[in-house]
This record gives sequence, C-alpha cells and structure tokens, in this order.
Amino acid sequence: MSQPPEEESARPLRDVDLRAAERGVWLVKVPKYLSEKWKRASGKGEVGKLKIISTKIPGAQPEVTFSMNEAQAQVQVPGRGTATPKEHKFKLTGVGNQNLVVFSENKGEGTTAAEITERIAIEGKVIQRAECQPVVDKSYMQLKKRHVEDSNKPKREIKQITGVVTTYKPVSNHAANIEHEKKIKEGGKRIRDERDVVTNKLFEIFEKHQYYNIQDLVRLTNQPVTYLKEILQDLCIYNMKAPHRNMYELKPEYRHYKEQK
Amino acid sequence: MATNVQQVAVSKPGASSGSQGNASEYVVRVPNDPLKKYSMIKFASGTDIDFLKLSHGKVKMERENNLRQYKTIYNLDAMPKFGAGSEYGREQKEEARRKKYGINIKKYNPNDQPWLMKVGDGKDCKRYKGVREGTISENTSYYIFTKCADGAFEAFPIEEWYNFQPVVKYKYLNSEEAEEEFSRRDKTMNLFSIMVRKRIKNEEETEEKPEDKKDKKKDKKSLILTDMEDWMETEDEEEEEEEAEEGAEKKPKKEKKEEKTKRRKNAKINADDEAVEESDEGDFDDRELDYISDSGSESSLDEKAKNDKYDDQGVDQEKGLKKLIDSEEESSEEENKEEDEEDEEEEAEKEAQSKKEKKKKKDSKENNKEGGESDSSSSSSDSDDSDIDKNEDKFSSVLFMQEKKRSSRPNTPTVEKLEIKTEPKSEGGIKRKIEAEEGGAEKKVRTESPAPSLKTSASSSSISSSGEITEEAIRHYLTRRPMTAKELVQKFKAKKSQMSNEQLTQKIGQLLKKINPGRKYIKGVMYLSLEKTE
Repeated sequence: MSQPPEEESARPLRDVDLRAAERGVWLVKVPKYLSEKWKRASGKGEVGKLKIISTKIPGAQPEVTFSMNEAQAQVQVPGRGTATPKEHKFKLTGVGNQNLVVFSENKGEGTTAAEITERIAIEGKVIQRAECQPVVDKSYMQLKKRHVEDSNKPKREIKQITGVVTTYKPVSNHAANIEHEKKIKEGGKRIRDERDVVTNKLFEIFEKHQYYNIQDLVRLTNQPVTYLKEILQDLCIYNMKAPHRNMYELKPEYRHYKEQK
Repeated sequence: MATNVQQVAVSKPGASSGSQGNASEYVVRVPNDPLKKYSMIKFASGTDIDFLKLSHGKVKMERENNLRQYKTIYNLDAMPKFGAGSEYGREQKEEARRKKYGINIKKYNPNDQPWLMKVGDGKDCKRYKGVREGTISENTSYYIFTKCADGAFEAFPIEEWYNFQPVVKYKYLNSEEAEEEFSRRDKTMNLFSIMVRKRIKNEEETEEKPEDKKDKKKDKKSLILTDMEDWMETEDEEEEEEEAEEGAEKKPKKEKKEEKTKRRKNAKINADDEAVEESDEGDFDDRELDYISDSGSESSLDEKAKNDKYDDQGVDQEKGLKKLIDSEEESSEEENKEEDEEDEEEEAEKEAQSKKEKKKKKDSKENNKEGGESDSSSSSSDSDDSDIDKNEDKFSSVLFMQEKKRSSRPNTPTVEKLEIKTEPKSEGGIKRKIEAEEGGAEKKVRTESPAPSLKTSASSSSISSSGEITEEAIRHYLTRRPMTAKELVQKFKAKKSQMSNEQLTQKIGQLLKKINPGRKYIKGVMYLSLEKTE
C-alpha cells in the first residue's frame, strides 16, 4: 500500500454552514434521459425554461411546464437518440410530514491530495415535491420504444467464431519459462560471501520482519541455499507450528524487538 | 458561482389566458460544478428539528470512521506489518490467496459511511446518525430546484440520500427481552422494575467489585417505595424477582449470588414448578467405593484383620485363572526355578524389607494377585512376614530373573526396584505386564541358567509337581538355598493345601530330622541348608 496509513480514529465534527438554511427548495424527480441531457449542458448550463401558471382557483396547484431549449434539445447523449420530448409537466405534490433538508459538501479548491477539507453547508429545506413528466407525443413513444429494446438486449452475447483462435497454442516452452531459464543461466550460481558479511546482512533483514521464509532469505541475501541454511542453524530457530510455519526467526538472544503498542 | 447568468426571464403577470392567472417564466439552469456535491437528509418522522429555529445555529457534521471495525471484520490488521511478530511478504500472500479463492472483500469506502450530526451545544446537544439509503433507482434522478436571486431556477442533482435518526443513549430491551416482557405485560404493575432488572442482570454478568454491589443495593432499596411494590414483585414467577426482593430484604449480596449460583447448579432439584429430574449417571460418582477395599479407608482395620481378610483365595488361586496362569508358565520346571530363585532372593530382601513389610501388605496383596504364580502362598497365614516377602518376591522376581544374568543377588537395586514396582498400583496394566515379563523371563532363565538345575530339574520337577512332602523334596529345596523351617512349611502348604498346618509341620519336622541339615544363624534366624558340592 503506497498510501499513507489510513486514519482509524473518529474525526472531529465539522461546522455546518447554515446561511442558506431557510431557503425553500423544490425536490423534483426527473427522468433519466432528461437528466443525462442536463448533465451535458454546455456553457452556462442553461437548459430550458420553466413556466409557472398560478391559478386563481383556490386549492389548485399551479401548472408548471418545462420546455427545453433548442440547443439543449440537440445535445447528443451517447448511446441514446437525440429525440426527446420538449415539453414536460411538473406534477406537484406536497412533502407530507417528512423533514427533508438538503446539504452540500464542497470540496475545497486548491487543496493538496493529502488534505481534503470539505465545507458542509445546508442548502435549504424542501417545501415542494414535483415529478417531471413528459408530455406524451410521438417522439416520446419512439424514445420509450428504443429504451425498452435496449434494455431487453442481453448483456452477454453468444457469437459464432468464424476464424481460428490463435491466442492459445501448445508450445514446447512458454516464453516466460524461457526467460526464466535464461536468467538463471546468465545470473549464474550464487556465490558465498564471508560469514560475517552474511550474518550482518541477516541481522539487518530480521530487523524489518520477524519471520522469514527460506526462499525469501535466499533471494534477499543472494547466497546459496545450503550455505545459508548452515548460518541460519546457528542464528535462527525454525518454526514448525502455525501460525508461522516453516519460517525462520532469530534466536531470542539475538533479537531485541521493542514491544509494539 | 462559476456560471454566469445570461438570460433572465422576466415574469410577466397576466401573460397567459385570463382566468388562469399569472404565468411566469423562469430560466432553468443546471450548473455543473464538479466540486459541490449535494445530498439529501431525510429525518425520521417525528424528529423535531428545524434549522430555522436554531438561533445559535450550531450544527456539526462528520462522517463516521468505521475503518477499525472494517479491519477487524476482515482480519486485515491482525498481524503486525513490520517489526516483531511480522512475516515477510504476508500481505502479498494474503492478497494472492484471496484472489486465488475468489474471495472478494468489499472495499471500505469512506464516502459511504454514515454521518454523525450534532445539533446544539454541550450537554443539550442532540445527536443524529444518518445512514445512506442504498436504492436510488437507476431510472430517475432527483434535482433540487432553487430560486436564485436573479429569478432563475437552478437545478442541482442529488447524489445521496441519508436517513437521519436521533441517537439513543438510554438502554433498551432487545427483541427477546421485549417479547418476554410483552407476554407479561398484564401482570407487571411496576414498569420501572423491568429496566432495573435488566441492569442488575448486566451488572452481575460482568464481574463486579464489592463496592459496586453496595451501590446497587442502595439503588434497589430506593425503588421499593411501598410494600405494594414488594408484593407485586412476588407475584411474578421469576427467580430474579424473588432474588431482587430478597436483596431488598437486606440479605448481603454475596449470599444472593451464592443462592443464584446454587439455584443454577441445583436446577434439577430446586426449580419451583419444574419436575425434579431423576438422577443421571454421573450424579453419584463421588460416592463410589474404592475397589481395593470394602471400606473406604485404609486405616480402619488393623494389620491382622487386614491380613485375615486378605487370606481369601487370591484370584490366581481360583481354578480357572490358575489353569491359565499355569499354562502360561508352561511347565513346573519354570516354577521350580522361580521358586528357587525366589527363595534365594527372599533372604536378601528380608533384612532390608522387614521394616517396610507392613506398609506394603496391601500392595503386596494386590500384586500377589497380579503376580499369578500358582505356588504363591498367599493362602498361608502362618507367617505374615514371609508371606509378604514371597509376594514381594513375585513381582520383583521378574526383574530379578532378568537381573540375575548380570549380577548375583544385588541387594540394593532389588530393594529399590521393589519399591518402584509396588508403588504404582494400576491393576490391569501391571498384571499383564508382570505376567508377560514373567513369561519372557522364564524363558530367559530357562535358556541361560540351565546348568545348576538341569541335573536336579528332572527329579525336582517330578518331586515338586507331585506335591508330596518327601525327603527328597526337602533336600532339593535346601540344596538350592538355605531356608527357614517356616519357609519350607509354606512351600509345601501350597502344594498340599489339604493338610492342616500341624500335620504339615509334623511331617516336615520328621523329615528334617532325617536329613539333618546344617544350621546357620543369620541375624538371629535359623536357617537350614544342605550344602552339596556341585
């Protein structure tokens, strides 16, 4: 793991910005295709117009219509056609007794990767719920038809192969093996160093971890196995039982590990 | 704000058809600010919170950090990663292992952890915990439409929904306990006692110091305000209730605990309305008798009485086993040899063991049975001493026979060996062992020391096997080694058990006069011997 050790302790609570807490907002349920178009809004982000007609009849909800801009309507969403209905109606409903509050997290700009300070702010309270429903017309029907077709396609397909698969062929000697053998040939056998040198190396190695496998030690010290085993016989003990089976560790007289934690 | 306002829709009153009312048009903007992330807080129904009313406006929020729990669940941090106790390459190994077996551990996503919210100050604060709601359908998205200062609407997509619930710090019953209490709801009058009981239970489970006990006692006392409450509790059938009552009646805590534990232990006996169980197999184990003696203690009988007791026919004397044992020993030849060797060794031991005889009486009796030689004179009770010696000989004889090849009558080792042998009392094992050893030893003896006995073996075998008290037999015995008169008697007693002691002694006396063996005095005991040149 190259990341710095992750925090495990509880972080202190951050202050929440309550400046906009009194705002009343609308919670609108928007169909997917529409939201996808909106996400690809260019420039300033203008997507259309909202027309609110408040009726004089008491008790009735105002009519809300959303009409999309021409430009916005033409936005191409990959994977779907461009045809989307232009007019949508908002069906307004009450909030009920739910207490819905919106908050936002604002990742600080210009901070380093290590420190991410987020500012949490309350953006408002929901006072109105609405559903964005398209005005049904031909284009919408076609759109939906396409959706259904797309979703009914199986995600995995069975294709018949025309040619021969040339990826796996029986080989006398795999490339990896050839490389390995070459390396060993060239690398040659490991040469024995002086005993003292090896001992010092081992002490260094055992400072990092307590238990080592014989193969790992061979690799790290670059000594022939038998020679190394001899040295290890003096210095180390061989663990037979789990959890550290078949591993070497320094004899007690040689080690001075500090108590961890 | 990153985005600029370009078009501003102006609301025009009365733009649409007359009776409809006012129509206004607003621009809808969807700003695309990658840094700001909107989420929804859904408070549990009934939660009384209104940020508007928070005049001092202190609200704090933070993600919960469950990294430690996550690690303990998956044992990721069980072993130290470096330094003492760590293995080289352990992490890689674990990872490789997981991949090999296809174990997928869900990665810990800190952005999915619950939120902790604290509203208010210091002690009056209310805490809430917001858990992420998982299923936001894939076909809809929620937007927040806010009205900007310039009259336009801004729409922000909501990415996460969190359900916030107030955090409870008081104790509550879990489902099992709740069901219990529910079933008893008609009977309980005092609802306070329910939680008190629960608290008591918890405190008893965790080992408590005596100081705590006192505190608890006080608490309980404070609850019992009226006698009515006392009586109400007794109506309930629970044990705990009764105990609480008793506690209230000022019994010390320890007693109560003991009672409880006693009750638990003796649940079979004491349960109020339950049937008393019949005892199971293991209930009376401690009352079993010792197999060795009829009574429980060793010291109840004095030595003589004991010996009389032990005069019963040994197991090996009984017919069936006797045959078996005899057949094991193949021929009386061996018996004779053993006898002789025994006799010789008897002398050696006698001196050393006269003191320890009494101690080993019981042991010897046991071992006698195990020894299993037909000529064992356990039945003779003339001389307890030689009896014991003989018995002791038997099991030691095995060793002696083996040792004989090496050393001639070593005193001390035999004594030691004897002690060692007699002390372990395990019946079955030693019995077989000794028998086996004897069998083996016999063979060895047979092969290795044929010389002295060959000549006399033929005659002696016939002599001793017949069991007749003849001069020859006595001569034979005495040649082998010096014996006391008593020993002779014993020898023949085994063979001729039908004769009474008196008769035996008489006959032997007569024969002895005839033979006129030499007399030796060894440590004040007269020994008869016949030294023959070999």
